[in-house]
Amino acid sequence: MAKPPDDRRLDLLQGTLDMLILRTLQWGPRHGHGIGQTIRAQSDDLLRVETGSLYPALHRLEKRGWLRAEWGVSEANQRAKYYRLTAAGKAQLLRERDRWSLLVGAIGRVMNPAPAGKE
Amino acid sequence: MRPDLQAFDDEIRGHMALVVKERVERGEDPETARLAALREFGNVLLTHESMQAVWRPRWLEAVGALWQDVRVALRSLRHAKGLAVTVAAMLALGIGANAAVFSVVRQVLFLPLVNRDADRLVYIRQSAPGIGAENITFSVPEIGDFRSRSTTVSAFGDFSTIDFPLVGFGEPRVVQAGVVSGSYFEVMGLRPVLGRLLDARDDGPDAAGALVLTHRFWSKALDRDPTVVGKTVRLGARDVTVIGVLEPSLPYPADTEIIANVVTSPHHLGATMVTERTHRMTELFGRMAPGATLEEVRGELGALHAALAREHPAAYSPGAQFQLSVTPLRDQITAPARPVLLLLLAAAAVVFAIACSNVANLILARSVRREQELVVRAALGAGRGALRRTLLAESLVLCGAGALLGVLLARPLVSVVGRFAARFSVRALDVTVDPSLLWVGAGLAMAAAVVLAYVPRLPLPHAPTRSGPATGGLRITPGTGGRLRVFAVTQVALSFVLLVGAGVLLTALVALQTTNTGYNLRQVLALDVPLPMEDSGPKAVDFYQQAMQRIERLPGVERVAVGNFVPWRDANGLLRGTTRFAASGYTPATGEEDPRARLRIVTPGFFAAVGVPLTAGRDFTDDDRSGSDLVVVVSQSVAQRLFPNGAALGRHMWWTDAYFGEPRPRRIVGVAADVDDANVVPGPSLTVYHPLRQMPYGGRLFVHTSGDPYALVQPVTRIIRSISADQPVERAATLADVRAQVLAPERLNAFVLSAFAGVALLIAVVGVAGVLAFSVSARTREFGVRLACGSTPRQLLTHVLAEGALIAAIGIVAGAAGGYALGRVAASSVESLRLPGASPVLGAAAVLMGAAVVASLMPAARAARVDVVQALRSE
Repeated sequence: MAKPPDDRRLDLLQGTLDMLILRTLQWGPRHGHGIGQTIRAQSDDLLRVETGSLYPALHRLEKRGWLRAEWGVSEANQRAKYYRLTAAGKAQLLRERDRWSLLVGAIGRVMNPAPAGKE
Repeated sequence: MRPDLQAFDDEIRGHMALVVKERVERGEDPETARLAALREFGNVLLTHESMQAVWRPRWLEAVGALWQDVRVALRSLRHAKGLAVTVAAMLALGIGANAAVFSVVRQVLFLPLVNRDADRLVYIRQSAPGIGAENITFSVPEIGDFRSRSTTVSAFGDFSTIDFPLVGFGEPRVVQAGVVSGSYFEVMGLRPVLGRLLDARDDGPDAAGALVLTHRFWSKALDRDPTVVGKTVRLGARDVTVIGVLEPSLPYPADTEIIANVVTSPHHLGATMVTERTHRMTELFGRMAPGATLEEVRGELGALHAALAREHPAAYSPGAQFQLSVTPLRDQITAPARPVLLLLLAAAAVVFAIACSNVANLILARSVRREQELVVRAALGAGRGALRRTLLAESLVLCGAGALLGVLLARPLVSVVGRFAARFSVRALDVTVDPSLLWVGAGLAMAAAVVLAYVPRLPLPHAPTRSGPATGGLRITPGTGGRLRVFAVTQVALSFVLLVGAGVLLTALVALQTTNTGYNLRQVLALDVPLPMEDSGPKAVDFYQQAMQRIERLPGVERVAVGNFVPWRDANGLLRGTTRFAASGYTPATGEEDPRARLRIVTPGFFAAVGVPLTAGRDFTDDDRSGSDLVVVVSQSVAQRLFPNGAALGRHMWWTDAYFGEPRPRRIVGVAADVDDANVVPGPSLTVYHPLRQMPYGGRLFVHTSGDPYALVQPVTRIIRSISADQPVERAATLADVRAQVLAPERLNAFVLSAFAGVALLIAVVGVAGVLAFSVSARTREFGVRLACGSTPRQLLTHVLAEGALIAAIGIVAGAAGGYALGRVAASSVESLRLPGASPVLGAAAVLMGAAVVASLMPAARAARVDVVQALRSE
């Protein structure tokens, strides 16, 4: 299959999807599609989450107690499952954000080393 | 909380609806939008499945993964068929033996009895260690006293064993019968499957003769004839009606076939039986009163017994040290089998341990060959858990196959072991294959699988192993060789213990079989030709006289005699005890008991017929008849003990037991050499022989022949039947075979333990050979270097042989030390246990050492044949 012409899309880094989901839900409850759309919009269309990864991830987070789900009616007038961040989820988000910034900083330092001789 | 399947569907449907709605809003037509949404979503089923998977419990995932591994294991074992078969066979042996033995142990020792409220039943035993009587049983007056005075036992059941000639069920034969009073079945809490059981109606001298068939006799001899109730048969000299069939239950105290009421046995109605306190021949059972504890029963009956001894000092002489013990019936029944079965269980467990350690050896060797595969897997990201799981899957497959075979093997083994155990406990007669067998098999297999999965060492995750994926050579990780040796040593040690055990039993057996009994064993045929009690007297004398005269004329017959006791075979019968007597010219020292002797009855010619020489005086003659001078022949021991100066001949002796009524002095006319007809290992035996004509109770025929004794069975039976058509003629056997039958339990013991030891030895030999073969193949390079440096092949050969001998030596020492410690521990709880003598120990050591050297021969020869150039190039 030919690649889409505007293939600037990025693959999600392993282990970051959970963090992105949690972050998205900080603005309030959303259904699965909404979460996917938000991530896409916020990343300027660079990150697209496959439904095949998104939904299992949502269930995984729900099982661990970081999300709570409840049924509502969507804009399409159809039953939809809305996810909401729990207190434990918020704490987890903080932890993941810290680790993320640490990682980004570390990778940044490796990729752009400070000029030699700096004391 | 886990969502249901509908929820997953709804969630995906909701997602689709939103996507479609967005697309339609962007101007697509609904159908295109729907298709695009589906395409965009990707694999709906897969997503569905992975959402569900999130909620599955972890163990389910693990099982799924394990199943995957099992399939891999099956594939990989297909390339190692030899190993798989060996391992499965070893485990099958171990598991099968254990499952069978355990099955029997469970049913014999642990299952409840069928009797109603069996835990309330007790067996009451009177013993008199002072005269060597372990179970002297009770007399009717004693039982009467217990009945009337005890409050902690609500009812007593009495049971005495008697042999009856039975006519009416096929061939005339002698049956082992129990004679009981009407309370017996009520006390024992047993029910009939047909008709009714004996009760109070059947008591007393005027009741009609009635008998109950045991379930076993009914099934085996009568083929479960449903019309048997109401039939009349002849029991002894009396007509007796079958009133019922007993439910399947334990025949105790003896393996009885029928149970009859008291009226069937003239002996039980006689004055001696009813009034004589020392005429003990009845076993006593009791049902504890509601609320009474075993301790209370013991206390009360003990006190009662002591009171009886005070009231009737003549019946309880202090020297005999009369004692009373009360045991729960179940313990009483299982007690004799317990040590044998526990020994068997231990032997089976040892075999299992040996089999496991040998399998561990094989698996270890295989895992070393597989190390590269494990390294590759680890490199590809398999965690330690996953690697362990791979190993577990493989050992599960092997052990599962072993367990399956083992359970199949256990089914026939159960009947073998059951027949073996039946010699010690009647309970084992009806042992069947039970489901516990499957559980034991499965449990052992699981245990073995887990142990085996943890035997091989995993490649360390970070440190690169010496045999990385690139190099092709076979190397042993440090420690593996050591572990292999440890397992081999364990096997040798355990087999050593088993071999010593088997050696002990075998030496004992050989000693028993080669002792000189004093009898002519091979040429004497003994037959049971019992007459009913009523027919004793002149009628019996005539009958035997006539039979003997006609048998004597048969070709090949040299001598014929009648007696009342077949050596060893009758040692547990009615005449098992000894009787008090006195003699003129002999006074026991003060406080000493009257001497006791065995009472035997023989015809003239008996001593010559069985090969016992007379050392002084004369044999009986036909003139020693009733009415003439009463005479006896005594054994050498009697003569020596009573009259050390050799003056026995011409003295008089008389029985002092009240059973004989007024003492009648009998003149000693002869002295016979000592023979011990009660014990296979002869001890000094005080025996007094009477002529049949003066004491007309016979029952046993002895025929001395120059030809094949068994050829005479037919003609002898024909002669006897022609004199009396319904006369039972049974159990014809030479004295040698009688002894062999009596020794059968010992022989079986020795045989079973030898079988276990043989299996263990075989496994140990395979183990030693395997370790050495492995060590040789791993050290090919080393041997090459040694050869290159000037070692001769002969030196290498001795080197490997020495290694095998060393493993065996360490194993033997470890086994001896462990066995000694074990023996000390066991000796503290099992009294009769003794540490073995030197010869079985040395014998076992020699056998093992020899086997180890033989096992090392093949690997050693291979080491000696190593090709230097190839060996050096092999890296």
